[in-house]
Amino acid sequence: MMTPKNNLFSGSTMLLAFVIFLLTGLSFASDSFAATLYVKKSGTKLQALDSARSKVIARLSRGTPVSVIKKSKRFYQVSTPGGNKGWIFKFKLTSRAPANSSGGGGILGALGGRQKIAARESSSGSSIRGLSPISEKHAKNKGISEEDIQAVKQMEAFHINPLDVEKFLKEGRLGEYGQ
Amino acid sequence: MKKLFAFFALAVVSLIWTQSAHSFKLDDFLESMAKPPPPQSQPTKKPAPQQEATQQPAQKGGGGLIGLGESLGIFDKKTSRILQKSVGALQAFQPIGLEEEKAIGGSLALEVFHRFGGMYKNAALQNYVNLVGQSVAEVSDRPEIDYHFAVLNTDNPNAFATPGGYVFVSVGLLRMLQNEAQLAGVLGHEIAHITHKHALKTLQRSKVLSGLSGLTLAAMDEDEGLFDQVINEVSDILFTRGLDKDLEFEADKLGMEYAYRMGYHPAGLKDFIKILGQASSRGSSIFLSTHPGPGARFQALGRFLPRYKAVGLFPTLARRYQSTVKGQL
Repeated sequence: MMTPKNNLFSGSTMLLAFVIFLLTGLSFASDSFAATLYVKKSGTKLQALDSARSKVIARLSRGTPVSVIKKSKRFYQVSTPGGNKGWIFKFKLTSRAPANSSGGGGILGALGGRQKIAARESSSGSSIRGLSPISEKHAKNKGISEEDIQAVKQMEAFHINPLDVEKFLKEGRLGEYGQ
Repeated sequence: MKKLFAFFALAVVSLIWTQSAHSFKLDDFLESMAKPPPPQSQPTKKPAPQQEATQQPAQKGGGGLIGLGESLGIFDKKTSRILQKSVGALQAFQPIGLEEEKAIGGSLALEVFHRFGGMYKNAALQNYVNLVGQSVAEVSDRPEIDYHFAVLNTDNPNAFATPGGYVFVSVGLLRMLQNEAQLAGVLGHEIAHITHKHALKTLQRSKVLSGLSGLTLAAMDEDEGLFDQVINEVSDILFTRGLDKDLEFEADKLGMEYAYRMGYHPAGLKDFIKILGQASSRGSSIFLSTHPGPGARFQALGRFLPRYKAVGLFPTLARRYQSTVKGQL
């Protein structure tokens, strides 16, 4: 006959089980909690050294979790899930898992199984181009001139060559080329 | 059975709490709770295909752990439905999606050009402002969207940001600036309005959206009056009433931060605010009605600046600014 002391689901047993689960979870979480950061934008360079002029080992996608190994002035040495190790300009990383990355969801997502909010920011911008039809229609209804409509389109179409950006940063000692 | 359920729940909660701790931010959760969803008198219209959410495949009893609990027989169907509804209520107030944001921002960009002289036609100047702006945007808190920069053809010193990534500075403002660090600070301030969705958050609290659980392109397309109301409301916020002063102060701090991250001397924005204050005291017409007074902004930035250590050698790039901008004006 089971006595309260021998009952597998007695209060003290359940409390002990809770503590064991908690400590187990903390031991997994503690390794990642302090040292995991996320890549903010796709195409971010992983470089061989903590220098903008060093070789590019890989380009990382937005949301890639990286483990920080070491810090220098403006670069972090990290390891990636793919097994690469290198340096990233630290302001290209964030402590928040970007929406629709592998780290997203939270407790509500886990409970309800929905990721609708995360998916709404999923575009990198490349799939949504140009003045939207509804904006153009609204503009024409309001009598906004064709010149102004073309100005917005020109603004959206303007692109800077990445090599020009690199040259701009290098000459100004900015970004990865900074102090 | 109840004890088995309680044991299971305790184990799951402790695992979720620790394993998800790095991705669950209490601040985000409290923020989502602070604004209860508006009454759903009008259901949200069917979303446009591009913004269809990526949802997990349907499981028996619904998704997530609650669905798993029902599948395992821990919850009955009635309990499972109640729990799903509760979670659903917390998730119900959907932020405005990127596609909608760009539609709103694009329409407002048209308004900006319409009201403030159109685009200043100088390719070299447009290129330079884009170089500074894109660089600062790259280190912002939301670098993944497309940012667009333009110079306005007006002597009235002003700068604007509309949702979806559109940033404007006027020729008049460029004439007031002395170096590139100041320009970076100003552009950083405008970019911050976009990264932190200040105009959209203000819109979401307005009466225009009361009664709706979300705002989609499909809904605005079907109801032209709704889109007009949205654009009129945000126009009023940006060009007449101004954003809440707290949001402007936040944008100042973030503007300083973003310029610092890019490697500019962080005092650039503070120095520009001083110039602005001196210009206003001489009776110049500026955008004072939509921003806090320059004195208050200068003091706030002055309190924030000391957090940046060892920035003495950070560049202001006055020579580059003068040679590029002044030669084009």
